[in-house]
Amino acid sequence: MQLFIGAVVNMLFLSSMYILVALGFALLFSIMELLHVAHGVIYMVSGYICSFFLTKLGLNQWLAFLLTVLIVSCFGPFLERFCFRPFFRDFDKMLLVGVAISAIVQTTVVLAKGYQFEALPPFVTGIIKWGPITVSLERLVTFLIGGALLLVLVLFINKSKIGLQMQAVAQDLEGALLQGIDVHRVSAIACVIACGLAAVAGGLMGAYLGLGAFMGDYVFTKCLILVVLGGIGSMSGLFLAGLIIGALDAFLPIFLSGSATEALSMGILICILLLRPRGLLGRELA
Amino acid sequence: MKKRWLIVAAVVIVLALLPLFISSPYVIHILNLTFLYIVAATSFRTIVISGQFPLGHGAFMGIGAYASAMAAKWLGLSPWISIPFGTAVACAVGIVIGLPFARLRAVYYAMVSLFFNMGIVQVIHSLGRWSGGYSGLTGIPTLLGFSKTPYYFCFLFLCLLSILVLYRFEHSRIGITWKAIAQSYLIAWSVGINERFYRVFAVAIGCFFAGLVGALYAHYNGVIGTATFSFMATFMLLMFCVIGGMRSFLGPIIGTSVLVLVPEIFRSLKQFSPYLAAGIMIFVVFFLPQGLVSLPGLMLRKMGKRHAP
Repeated sequence: MQLFIGAVVNMLFLSSMYILVALGFALLFSIMELLHVAHGVIYMVSGYICSFFLTKLGLNQWLAFLLTVLIVSCFGPFLERFCFRPFFRDFDKMLLVGVAISAIVQTTVVLAKGYQFEALPPFVTGIIKWGPITVSLERLVTFLIGGALLLVLVLFINKSKIGLQMQAVAQDLEGALLQGIDVHRVSAIACVIACGLAAVAGGLMGAYLGLGAFMGDYVFTKCLILVVLGGIGSMSGLFLAGLIIGALDAFLPIFLSGSATEALSMGILICILLLRPRGLLGRELA
Repeated sequence: MKKRWLIVAAVVIVLALLPLFISSPYVIHILNLTFLYIVAATSFRTIVISGQFPLGHGAFMGIGAYASAMAAKWLGLSPWISIPFGTAVACAVGIVIGLPFARLRAVYYAMVSLFFNMGIVQVIHSLGRWSGGYSGLTGIPTLLGFSKTPYYFCFLFLCLLSILVLYRFEHSRIGITWKAIAQSYLIAWSVGINERFYRVFAVAIGCFFAGLVGALYAHYNGVIGTATFSFMATFMLLMFCVIGGMRSFLGPIIGTSVLVLVPEIFRSLKQFSPYLAAGIMIFVVFFLPQGLVSLPGLMLRKMGKRHAP
């Protein structure tokens, strides 16, 4: 029972973080048909920026975190304007630009920091005991921040004018253009959101898992899995896929060893996609 | 047409005579790897022209390499038998995987094959002692001993042969059918083309050559690890193709040569070489939309304009 509750807590925690990173990725995927390879690298570099503010400038931890999120989000419009807008909806070229960006950033981080792992100090310490349940406070805070942000974003995308414009562009580009929606402005805003979310997750997970120059690759893989499994362009699908993948990652290691877990979850994933090629709740892509 | 064949013949003769003038084993090693990657990139493009985006191509190199290396190491087979065995295994897995995957189209095919690549890497890891796990498989029997020069001729010959075979495929009736399917599968259906058969056929051909490259690499290097066959390796093949030019048969060949050889020329800047590759990528993407293949034509046109009255 104890084990089971621990796994459920872990599942919720992992799911919220996966969904947080993948949401930005999914927005870019559905609006620009962009396979954003550099997303993992942005996540990685924001962990390092946070660590720079902490150790070199000696700022308060939460201040450093907020500053990181702000700076990385401001990077979004530049990315959109100079790297993605010239190749709007050109799959290979945007992929290539992404690979180039991630090569540059990753090499810079390796040159500056080496291959060593680094650790951010935890945001909060201590545990909460509630009946048979014991939860570390850090995980709880991370989960709460993630959950609150997700709630705000869901409201933003479903209620605000810009959010509705994003959905329109994702559903039908020509239709959206005919209605006078500025597609590039919408994609720039999506870029800001994507970079900001990656930065939030990078700061929080950097404190939890430690920093490494290649930590982004893992997260990129997870984003891709979530987006494709949930179905491109479907928000509820993304959440469902996040819960499934979080559950697989939390429960399978109890029974199996590391690489067998990964192999099995890939196998399950491929089977689901072969049965439902458009993802769990997705629609047919033209 | 005649002129083109003369150029090809000249290049082949120069390449065949090159080892006489190069004594450094390191340079020969780099050239050997270039030949292998040229075959891999060209076979990648063969699948692409059939309208499928094979982001799992690296996995088939891995399957060929590991099947051949494990057969040679644990069953004691000679590399001359285990290399065809590894190639056959890669081709068979390609067909088995290609049949259900032929249901998928466009982005979905690309994504599922990418997941297949990641899954295969984990399967190889989880085989434990038999595959060497995370630390890689060592002590694989070599094909032609430890000197690099014999491999040069062997790989040059196989590379030319593979390119010729893939060229003939692309310019045969089958290649035209592939291109028809890529353009519109609905129209292809309406004229009675068996879409699934031709798509699986393209995957089988591509995986055959990918497996061959992997198996040769295993018995050339003597050591293999899964990093060589991860999805980053697949992205590298994609880079070779796009930088050279996806539209042209010469594209992957030129792209591979440039991206493998140019960073080696600036070898003194070892840890900065990713910057160089990224620089080439950005230059090509922004200024040469058709890839490096279109560079001579563009330059000729520019010069022609300048001389025109």
